[in-house]
Amino acid sequence: MTRMQLNPAWRRKPVSSNRLATISDSYLSDMPDTSKPNVFCPAIPFLLDDPAQSWITHDLCQVLTERGHTSVICHLDEHSDQPAGLSPTLSDTGSISSYCILPVTTAATVRAQDFSHVVLLVPANLDAVRRAYQRIKFLSARAPSPEIGIVLVGPRDQHSAWRYFRKLAVGTLRYLDVPLLNLGFLPEQVTPEHGPADHHRNNFLTRISERLISSEFFHACATGDDAQENP
Amino acid sequence: MKLSIHREARCSPEQLRVLLIDAAEQLAGRGARVLEAKLPWEGHPLLLVDAELHPVVVSFDSEHSEAALLNGLMAVEKLSSALAWVNQVYEALQHREQPPRLVVVSAQLPPGSSAILARCASLRLFQFKALRVNGETGLWLEPLGDQNDAERPANAAPVPGSVPEAPRAASISHVSPADQPAEDTLPALSSEETAYFQQL
Repeated sequence: MTRMQLNPAWRRKPVSSNRLATISDSYLSDMPDTSKPNVFCPAIPFLLDDPAQSWITHDLCQVLTERGHTSVICHLDEHSDQPAGLSPTLSDTGSISSYCILPVTTAATVRAQDFSHVVLLVPANLDAVRRAYQRIKFLSARAPSPEIGIVLVGPRDQHSAWRYFRKLAVGTLRYLDVPLLNLGFLPEQVTPEHGPADHHRNNFLTRISERLISSEFFHACATGDDAQENP
Repeated sequence: MKLSIHREARCSPEQLRVLLIDAAEQLAGRGARVLEAKLPWEGHPLLLVDAELHPVVVSFDSEHSEAALLNGLMAVEKLSSALAWVNQVYEALQHREQPPRLVVVSAQLPPGSSAILARCASLRLFQFKALRVNGETGLWLEPLGDQNDAERPANAAPVPGSVPEAPRAASISHVSPADQPAEDTLPALSSEETAYFQQL
């Protein structure tokens, strides 16, 4: 069928009741209200250095879904000044997905939405590292500072990725007192042209997704109904 | 202020992608928004949504206009065959399942463009020129055949190479960091920080 030509990330898988139960156990009170089975949605905001990096969030969403964490990509209206714009966005998608991937392009959006966690996609060059530092400085200027994870994009190898991460992490710790979490890297050989089915590309994305899950690196968003009741 | 305009000798695909994202409203009409900056298909076209909630595929190629057209047609076919899924994934489409539109952007018009335009009501063709205006790269977009009229009145067409009149100035979309959406008046670095980030 022609539909099978579509990237699997575009498909919504049926809800896994076990997974939903796990999430409910983690985020609801001891006596869950059965009338609202899933009032929180784990959202992972990604602060892109460049809109062209959106293939990374797209593929991570696909990898998470393939590994049983049904995920969707949600796009925020970054031109809107209304910080409450997130809850209506999640009210539909959050109820059937394990994770909501939120690509954003400005640190101002991250601050406006009061995200507790954010992943920065940082190209492996000194200018981009400096710009990432400025963004972290911007985000940490207002308490509470979000937890920040770093994914290096395009280093030559693991050693190179580590050098860029160390430069950034030492700088933020020294001058801003902000620790960073190393979530992995995508080497320069991994490009969108490889296609989502490429094994090499999938391996790196899988490592990143596993680190995100194992470190529980997400922002717990209230979905629409709950947000209205508890603004 | 002196206005200095030069023709950009070369515009990389990724640079062109950023410029087209900035010019989304010019390509797909007022109120258009970006849904996907890089579709995972041949040519990696953009996916926008217009004010009437039609998905809009923007296919482009700076060198090969035929490739831009064919890649765009393939993307539209894939989207059309999976409209239900697409509408589920992108909440901005509001489950209307409107048929997709195609916008093709290339430096030269694809061969037979007049005939193609006459047959395809949902197709729009744009010819682009990459310009450097006072040091910043911008895009000059010329639509071909408004309302799908291949034979536009001569006086309605922009004159190639001319300086745009005031309303057309909006077609220049700069790539400067300052023009990215609402970013971030990022804090300045202290001299100590600057020195630290001088080298790896």
